[in-house]
Amino acid sequence: MIALRILLIAAAACGLALAQQTAPQPIVLQNATIHTVTKGTFSGSIVIRNGMIAEVGDKVLAPMGAKIIDLSGKHITPGLIDCHTHIALVSTNEGSVSVSSMVAMRDVIDPEDPAIFRDLAGGTTTANLLHGSANAIGGLNVVIKMRWGSDADGLVMKEAKPGIKFALGENPKRAGQGAQSPFGGNAQTPRYPGTRMGVEDVIREAFLEARQYQASWKDYETRRARGENVLAPRRNMKLDPLVEVLEGKRLVHAHCYRADEILMLLRVAEEFGFKIATLQHALEGYKVAKEIKAHGAGVSTFSDWWSYKIEAYDAIPYNAALLTKKGVLTSLNSDDAGGADVSTRLNTEAAKTIKYGGLSADEALALVTINPARQLGIDQYVGSIEAGKQADIVVYDKDPLSIYSKVEKVFIDGRQYFDRDEDLLARPRREADKKGLLEKEKAAEKADAPQKRRPS
Amino acid sequence: MKQLLLASLFAVVAFAAAPEGGSFLLKNVTVHPVSGPKLDGASVLVLDGKIAEVGAKVTPPKTKIRIIDGKGLHVWPGMINSGSMVGLSEIGSIRETNDTGELGTFVPQLRPIVALNPDSEHIPVVRANGITMTALLPAGAGGGGRGGGNVQMIGGQISLAHLAGWTWEEMEVRRSAGMHLRYPAISPVSFDPMTFSTTRGNYPNSKRQHDQEIQELTSFFDDARSYWTAKKAALPVKTDLKFEALIPVLEGKTPLIAFASHEREIREVIEFADKQQVKLVLAGVRKPGAALETIAKKKIPVILGRTQTGVDEEDDPYDEPYALPAKLYAAGVKFCFATFDAEFARNLPYQASQGVPYGLPYDEALRAVTLNAAEIWGIDKEYGSIEAGKVADLVLTDGDLLEVKTDVKMVFIRGNEADLETRHTRLYKKYLARP
Amino acid sequence: MVHRLFPLTLLLLAAAALLTADPPSRVAIRDARVYTVSGPVLEKATVLIKDGLIEAVGENVPIPVGVTVIDGTGLNVYPGLIDALSTWGIAELAAPVPPAGGARGGAQPAPAIPAPATPATPQQPQPRARGPEDRPNTFTWVKAADLVKPSDRRIETARSAGFTTAVTFPRQGILAGHGAVINLAGENGGDMVVDPAVGLYTTLTTGGFANFPGSLMGAMAYLRQIWIDAAYYRAAKEAYAKDPVAIVRPSYDRALEGLLETHRLLIPAFSRVQIERMLRFGAEFKTPFVLYGGQEAFRTADQLKKAGVPVILNVKWPAKERESDPEEIPSLRTLQLRDKAPTTPAVLAAAGVPFAISSEGLDTPKDMLKALKKSIDVGLKPADAIRALTLSAAEIYGVASRLGSIDKGKIANLTVVKGDLFDEKSKVEMVFIDGKKYLPAPEAPAPPRPTGATPAGEAQ
Repeated sequence: MIALRILLIAAAACGLALAQQTAPQPIVLQNATIHTVTKGTFSGSIVIRNGMIAEVGDKVLAPMGAKIIDLSGKHITPGLIDCHTHIALVSTNEGSVSVSSMVAMRDVIDPEDPAIFRDLAGGTTTANLLHGSANAIGGLNVVIKMRWGSDADGLVMKEAKPGIKFALGENPKRAGQGAQSPFGGNAQTPRYPGTRMGVEDVIREAFLEARQYQASWKDYETRRARGENVLAPRRNMKLDPLVEVLEGKRLVHAHCYRADEILMLLRVAEEFGFKIATLQHALEGYKVAKEIKAHGAGVSTFSDWWSYKIEAYDAIPYNAALLTKKGVLTSLNSDDAGGADVSTRLNTEAAKTIKYGGLSADEALALVTINPARQLGIDQYVGSIEAGKQADIVVYDKDPLSIYSKVEKVFIDGRQYFDRDEDLLARPRREADKKGLLEKEKAAEKADAPQKRRPS
Repeated sequence: MKQLLLASLFAVVAFAAAPEGGSFLLKNVTVHPVSGPKLDGASVLVLDGKIAEVGAKVTPPKTKIRIIDGKGLHVWPGMINSGSMVGLSEIGSIRETNDTGELGTFVPQLRPIVALNPDSEHIPVVRANGITMTALLPAGAGGGGRGGGNVQMIGGQISLAHLAGWTWEEMEVRRSAGMHLRYPAISPVSFDPMTFSTTRGNYPNSKRQHDQEIQELTSFFDDARSYWTAKKAALPVKTDLKFEALIPVLEGKTPLIAFASHEREIREVIEFADKQQVKLVLAGVRKPGAALETIAKKKIPVILGRTQTGVDEEDDPYDEPYALPAKLYAAGVKFCFATFDAEFARNLPYQASQGVPYGLPYDEALRAVTLNAAEIWGIDKEYGSIEAGKVADLVLTDGDLLEVKTDVKMVFIRGNEADLETRHTRLYKKYLARP
Repeated sequence: MVHRLFPLTLLLLAAAALLTADPPSRVAIRDARVYTVSGPVLEKATVLIKDGLIEAVGENVPIPVGVTVIDGTGLNVYPGLIDALSTWGIAELAAPVPPAGGARGGAQPAPAIPAPATPATPQQPQPRARGPEDRPNTFTWVKAADLVKPSDRRIETARSAGFTTAVTFPRQGILAGHGAVINLAGENGGDMVVDPAVGLYTTLTTGGFANFPGSLMGAMAYLRQIWIDAAYYRAAKEAYAKDPVAIVRPSYDRALEGLLETHRLLIPAFSRVQIERMLRFGAEFKTPFVLYGGQEAFRTADQLKKAGVPVILNVKWPAKERESDPEEIPSLRTLQLRDKAPTTPAVLAAAGVPFAISSEGLDTPKDMLKALKKSIDVGLKPADAIRALTLSAAEIYGVASRLGSIDKGKIANLTVVKGDLFDEKSKVEMVFIDGKKYLPAPEAPAPPRPTGATPAGEAQ
């Protein structure tokens, strides 16, 4: 009996030890200036446990065995969220057709894109990977977290609500204008549409088709319930997502510039009984802030880009501030493609709205944290520093809205994915690795080189 | 007699073209002279467009002039964007609105100042962020430009212009302050906009093309030199505007502004400039590598492009563009900044301050967009710092000129207050007021 | 009524038969080292061939009278080597095309990995596809078995290098058609075919912006849709057969017909990211699939093992281009790939992932052996290399009961080598295909060296 008891105790002890090994160590981020975004800014600490923010406050209770990181003098923000980007993707556009809702960015994630790491080093922890703007109706999006080192599946933020890309304005009609277009189509076979009116037509036709498709399935289900021998309609991967839009299950993120096309899309959506989730870029959004607010759409825009296209000629850097003042849920995005650029500096992009439009520090930070989180339907998980949210946290050495600040550490789901000091140490190691491999190759080349023979 | 009359007429006209400078006394400001330490609670006296006096106590002027109470604000020298297409390029994607990138491989005779549109919407926009002067580029870093021309090697001269004036004549600071050169690079990497991916091309072909272009460039210089020699020898030569334009370069008076971004072409263009015995300024340097030492040793100035960009190569450290200015500073290289475009020209100051957290001392960042730029363009006797005798290009802010959040309150060009109203502020006010 | 000339005709026919006498139908190779692959190596054994099949193999096999005997002393006998992903036999696909290094037209652009060499085919101008319904670039009805001819000159070169079999596929299109296992000898194409349909070759090539699909994700979406369409087509046909009155007659679609015949897919995947992507994607079709390419598979052996997916390896190991920029430093990823790619076969063997070898991208069939030698130098067991060239290939394509090892009852395909198979100095003495002996083609004599002056370019 005693032997059995000893055995049981031993087993329990082993189990406990194992549990402690597999459960991640809690972390306390101590004594920093915390920009919660939603609950003010104050000096305090954060407890991270099991990937979540367990506690935030000016004083916290440090759990047993927690790793304490002293961050005196540093600043903490929620992980920044980029609502519109094309990094980490092998394809950006399925530009051959005007409606490409059958394609999915999830299929073409490139988890080894260095841009992921660079975004991370810039404080961006979550991003909305969108189809490009070549088509009036584009493909399905995927929201990822910058969990550098994971495979494609490991990057996907599974809690995100599914979305789809639309595009209005110059880009989706460029292929309809023949030979000049870098977006394909050619003089012989331009791709419809070539005008903004045509863009509206493409969208309405697509949703009409989707409605008919939806009806055919409802009809089939009704008949089958009645016991009829009917063939189910053929599944159409292009129309399935559009039906999801009609049913409110898929968010529409629509690239647009001009006020008239913004209005057009809001009315088309209303005609078919759905809402536009976000108007992306919407550089003239400030002109129709009232209508956007009434419809209930959000806007995700640039900080200060303008004049590169005629439809960007009325763009103003006050766009985000004005929309915010008019009550529209607004965010800032990078639209990065071919490499990480603006997405590595979302904090200073946000700071521009203090200068252009007089937003407060929290309002500015919200543009790249809680606002895009709301727009993507993930605000219960990320976007602010609150107990119960996922521990996506950025540590800056100075005020995050200052150009003089640097990212020092980044946590995603409570795990540290970036540390500037470690990155600095890793650089000479990588260089040494490269040098070693180059020398190895050179040596092998020499060994392989054929012996030179003199003629007899 | 007639000739004398004509000459004096031209002189009068030329004098009349220079706009009148303004006068005012700016009190109660923190002055950042750049050429010296900052002065709190100081004043700046501007007379007829020139800085007359700077200091804690300033001699009150004899005549009645405007007195501006700075209310504890900060005053800085107006910033200089050392390379933009402001006023030359209105909308990037519309060719008709662009006047850079002419046809022809060697077009040194072109002066962008004459194509400067004084009513371009870009000018007030850029000026409103404290930039008072820009170097005008006739072509881009890769040659070409938005004019739709082919890829030039010598795209034209570089003019310096104030960002205020009724005509380009009034705006002109220097008609020809430099000569554009795109130094040929062997760059087999090409970017495919269809898939946003880079592909390695054919090195032998690129090398061949590179070598051929170098040969053409050398021949062109040789021809220009022959022309110059003939002229000096008073031999009868038919005037050739192209070769005429190169003479100041050959004389060492006008620098070659050579776009060379990577180590190899930097190395090569330095050798070229040495051989041709011309003054050299490097532009668009990104990865100087081992050539940095040579740049420093030969005291070649550098015009840096935007630090706020993406990283070039896969293995580059993530902060490489941010750390570049500090690298140059540590090596003892003098540099200034340019944005090389129109639409982001207003963000010039942040290209400098972005380098500060990565090692660039703040004072150097400020100097880079003011006095260094003036020195590199050879106009530092008149511009680049707040010192008596210099032209009154001044910026008044509520904080650090190089910080993003800062508001620019007033801008003076030649002592005249510039209008800070822009297309953007007008649209903002209009739609803010929409019921 | 028998014609007057009948006996004469008979005589003439008999004479003709004698003159074109068939090679001996019974052959024995004696006292050779025999690599059965299915079992241990037999140091001194005999292989008996009868009527195109292996009649017996062993150390003590009695040789019957009247059998042609070949002295195998000092020779190594292997099962006939198999090129597991080939175009041999389809002469139109012989023209080599430099690997598509770029994004345009390439399947899955990845800077570190060279794209597979896709041989150029005379492309018929395609009408612009508007979507999956136009079946763009689809050739599922095309069968390699219909296209192979013994007149392809590469067949002899392959035999001379020791190959007896190839799994040959048509190459044009996203869905290029069905491959066949063929022996590299025969009087006509039909004779060569061992199995006429062993897999559907997919390429996921894209048409840029001009044509659907213009992107990798478009190609993937297309495959999904056409799979759905094929299943629907089958259901519609069945329903129609049961009730031709109530059900609308389904429209005949040869693309879907060809798809329905598919019982194995070949999907391209070179890099780790591509392999992981295609493992996920391939599983959606609920059809056995094989990945081809696999040069970064050394990083994904566990995933491949878990998924139970075999790999046809492209063994043109990535290397520095001959004429590359001397000042260019490749990325760390590229250097690592170049360094580690040749270890892939050993890594896969250790993990228990079935793999075979392809001639894809190589200049000559001999280069396959050279490439494997490189892998052997970095740890691949020679026995595993031999297996990859023989039994594994047969198993992957479901023809292991007929080919791949030296066992009684299997087709008599043998490769006889003087020296070790992977030794550069070895010589292929002969191969047997369907029991018939073939000698290697004589090598072209080397051009005489010029006497006197040093040829230009030679280092002093």
